[in-house]
Amino acid sequence: MTKQLKEWRALDHCDTDSDDNAVVEQEAVQHDSIKQVSNEWIIIKDSEGIDVTTTDTQAAVSLQLGIQVAIAVVLSITIGDSDQAKHVMQDFNQVSKTRQSNRQKTIIEGSRNVEITTTDTDIAVNIQLLVQILVAIVASLDIL
Amino acid sequence: MSDASKPMVPEKVVELAVDSIFKKNGIKPEELKKNLTDEQKKVLREMVEDLKKQVDQFNSRNNETSE
Repeated sequence: MTKQLKEWRALDHCDTDSDDNAVVEQEAVQHDSIKQVSNEWIIIKDSEGIDVTTTDTQAAVSLQLGIQVAIAVVLSITIGDSDQAKHVMQDFNQVSKTRQSNRQKTIIEGSRNVEITTTDTDIAVNIQLLVQILVAIVASLDIL
Repeated sequence: MSDASKPMVPEKVVELAVDSIFKKNGIKPEELKKNLTDEQKKVLREMVEDLKKQVDQFNSRNNETSE
């Protein structure tokens, strides 16, 4: 069968049946939207003997990051296909996607011998969840 | 105040989530195991244990101060 010669058109190739497998790339990097805002104010005025203990949010954030990286490492080592590993990672990120903001203000005025303790529970929960996910993954791979 | 020794999300729930994510992506843990050398397993085990320890320390420090 000979086809009649037609004038060349740029989109001709779209007409054939075999070329309809357009691949839509997912945005390569899904932003990991763990946002944590921690604003803590402790104001002490005209007081003495005040003992303050607060959570080290910075340490918590880096610990959180460390666990996330660990999950990514485990997945990329075990899943040979890097695209597939990426997809799985995205799914895990969705589980632990959290937005948190922690604002606390403490004002002590004209007091003596006061003990203040503030805790950032939100970030502690998130770290706990992430490490649980990591442990569950490695447990399913008989690593632990 | 929450108790750090008790997981905030039940273990079973996390296991289920991990399992369903693997299933959704057509991943069989049985096959993934084959991709790991003993050496890699050892390194990963140490990494996880280390992170667990750090989390425990972080939690206990928080708990200590919240008493």
